[in-house]
Amino acid sequence: MRWRHLDKSLFVWVLLIGVLLVLVVNPLARLLWASFEHGATGAFTLENYAAAYGRWRYLEALWNSLVLGLAVAVLGTVFGVPMAWAVSRTDMPAKGLVWAAILGTFIVPSYLGAVAWILLAGPNAGWLNRLYVWLTGAASGPLNIYSMAGLVLVIACYSFPYAFVFTRSALDLISSEMEDAASTLGAGTLRTMLRVTLPLTLPAILGAFIVEFLEAIALFGAPALIALPARFQVMTTMLWQFFEFPPKVQVAAAYSMPLLAITVFLFWLQRRIIARKGYVALTGKGGERRQIRLGGWRWVMLGYCLFVTSLSFFLPMLVVLQAAFAKAWGRGFGLDNITLENLRFVLIDQPITRAATLHTFVYGGTAAAIALGLGLSIAYIVHRRLVPLGGALAYIAMAPFVIPGIVLAIGFYAAYTTPPLVLYGGAWILILAFTTRFLPIAYANSDAAIRSLNPELEDAVRILGGGRLLAMRRVVGPLLKRGLAGAFILVFIPATRELSSAIFLYTTGTQVLSVLLFDKSDEGNFEILSSIGLILVVITVALVLAGFRLAGRDFMLKRTAS
Amino acid sequence: MPIARVLLPVAVTVLLAFGAHAHAFEGEPALYEAAKKEKALTWYTAHYNSETAAAVCNGFEKKYPGIKCNYIRTTAQVAYQRLAQDQKAGIAQASVISSTDVGHYGRMKQDGWLQPYRPKNLSELIDAFKSFNDPDGLYVATAAGLVLITYNTSVVSPADAPKNWTDLLDPKWKGKLSIGHPGFSGYVGTWVVQMRKSYGWDFFKKLELNKPRIGRSINDTVTMLNAKQSWVAAGPSATTLESKDKGNPVAVVYPTDGAILMVSPTGILKNAPAPNAAKLFEEYLLSKDCNEIMVKMRQDSVNRHVQPLPGAKSLAEVKTIRPTYDEVEKGIPEVKELFRDTFGI
Repeated sequence: MRWRHLDKSLFVWVLLIGVLLVLVVNPLARLLWASFEHGATGAFTLENYAAAYGRWRYLEALWNSLVLGLAVAVLGTVFGVPMAWAVSRTDMPAKGLVWAAILGTFIVPSYLGAVAWILLAGPNAGWLNRLYVWLTGAASGPLNIYSMAGLVLVIACYSFPYAFVFTRSALDLISSEMEDAASTLGAGTLRTMLRVTLPLTLPAILGAFIVEFLEAIALFGAPALIALPARFQVMTTMLWQFFEFPPKVQVAAAYSMPLLAITVFLFWLQRRIIARKGYVALTGKGGERRQIRLGGWRWVMLGYCLFVTSLSFFLPMLVVLQAAFAKAWGRGFGLDNITLENLRFVLIDQPITRAATLHTFVYGGTAAAIALGLGLSIAYIVHRRLVPLGGALAYIAMAPFVIPGIVLAIGFYAAYTTPPLVLYGGAWILILAFTTRFLPIAYANSDAAIRSLNPELEDAVRILGGGRLLAMRRVVGPLLKRGLAGAFILVFIPATRELSSAIFLYTTGTQVLSVLLFDKSDEGNFEILSSIGLILVVITVALVLAGFRLAGRDFMLKRTAS
Repeated sequence: MPIARVLLPVAVTVLLAFGAHAHAFEGEPALYEAAKKEKALTWYTAHYNSETAAAVCNGFEKKYPGIKCNYIRTTAQVAYQRLAQDQKAGIAQASVISSTDVGHYGRMKQDGWLQPYRPKNLSELIDAFKSFNDPDGLYVATAAGLVLITYNTSVVSPADAPKNWTDLLDPKWKGKLSIGHPGFSGYVGTWVVQMRKSYGWDFFKKLELNKPRIGRSINDTVTMLNAKQSWVAAGPSATTLESKDKGNPVAVVYPTDGAILMVSPTGILKNAPAPNAAKLFEEYLLSKDCNEIMVKMRQDSVNRHVQPLPGAKSLAEVKTIRPTYDEVEKGIPEVKELFRDTFGI
């Protein structure tokens, strides 16, 4: 009898604590420990901090990362939020195309995009610059990808999908009745949007803003390709230096500490902003969602969507396709320049491509499933205040995102190469590192979903005698199914293209495509690089589409077609 | 031109004496049998690009069926990092290591990561390269290449192309010059050490005025030239010529003041999971078969019987310069710092 009435969520809580200890706390603790450790003797020291902040160059890189993160988050929001609104709430045409292009954008790894953008907007010979010169007769083109602005553009192109997806799922949950109320009271479309719709989606937008900021400062691949030739360093390229021969792991650990402080602050800020207002907008499946008629403006919106997706998807993919099938991409387009030799090489002469492809998707899928299970459980426990100190769990779940993949990998490496838990050398260390790295996305998404869910629905279950777990299974799960499918994709895709942690944790038997791609990027062989990139993109797209089909829900086009 | 003087007569004599038949070395069958039991070996290499590494591995598997060759190709620094991680964790992954930063070998030797092996095929090694071998037999030279001047032929005519290293300082190349980074690439590190030795650090202060594009690997310069992002570069012979073979508009200049000769060693790890396969592989790297594959990939041969393909000069015809091991080992960490101070990254 007593067992029946015991709230079993306590066990889940204990389990979660254990998992988070392994995934987040232990690697971070090892990292913190290392930052105070003398490289040779292992004694306590503050020297690492002196070394990490003792040079103007090092501080400048930190500052550059902050500027980069903020600029990317702002631009990503400007790109993503209007598109989300247009797709979710208006009668803009060609929504399927726009959504497919955004999905494609999300699948393209940012380092592949960066290479493509070097070809598009390189100062001397970028195709866009050449086009400009040809059209205007000017001496040189206006674009220079090798600049902070260039790097911001490239990274924003590949992080705005966060803003889009977060905002769109929030918008999809707001019923038109609220907007109708505003219209009834005399507000126009714009005013309704600004005063009703936008504030309701604010938590989602803020969540995306933070995710974009953190993603931007944690990236390694795109800055290595663009910032170095542009002559500036960011935090991640600086960290790379600390791992050079002879490696200074301890200094790197010290160098990555302030970023944890920034995350904690941002997270606190987000909660402060949200805490002041009540945001429960979803009350079951009721409520009608009607499209706003834009009239002539719908073409303007479509133009904007196509402009952004051209920057992020259509133009870069055109360049990648050209190179993947070119004998020599420097020769440009032309029938005599087309070959299948590159694809043949990567698929047949290089057997590692096939193994790496399999690893990429198996690891990514497993990591996404684990992260989502964790994220949802934590978000639920935190919001329903089932246990004391739930807030601490939330902080722990959000923490990994600010740790650059390289540093996370080093933390994992330090923690799991020695007994009791030896993972290095196998697949699990990659899977768990990916899980940890993208846990914040899973959590932030689950958090936004649960936040919008009125607890009264579950209370109804409990009043009728059902337990907490039954409520989760029969009410929470089904209501959030769609959001969760999206969240899975949001973790799966970045896990398939994750580079910065993989590059330190893979071994001979566990290579993934991102590592292969990155190794190619400094080899001067863009044809092969593009072929591997193309394989990654094509398979991911196929899997994601198959996933939608199998799930029986057309995640892409639901409601937009009606 | 000491190498030219030494190499040419030797090569000719040997060719006449032995003809062109493949050489099996003494004890090959026994080593092969022992290696077959180990089934596979893993090779960390920074010596060439992936295509060449793949071709070398394929050739090894064909010559010695039953042994699988797994390569991991990275830049020198990354190869060392990976190995250091493995060693620290007590994990035996790699059996063979091929770095381009000779400083790494001094460190690995000191840390006791390598085991000695004197390949029977050492007699096949070009004499001039023998001085690059470790006296204790811990590593031997197995790859050679050049750092030289490269350019895009669609924008620079052969007459206008730089002839020597100081020509790169000409203001007409401002914003059109590409180089790699000594913090990533062993080739670039050695080049920077040599330029400092020849012209003093002033060379790089002047180079900075031309605002070069700085990539990571020396192979990055090939990408830059192909994209016409840069017109001229301090680049590698092998990848540039390979790219030219594919039809890209690039060409090389052998600088009159000397191309930098890169001779890169290979060593066998003490904790090698496949020690016999590793020894067999080291023999193979020196063999005629392997070097014939390498010259097809535009790598320079280290085997005295193998001549380069048309279009590339043999090392014997080129004026080459290079710093000593000691200068490289001490110099690369120094120039990395200087480089960062001068170029800001």
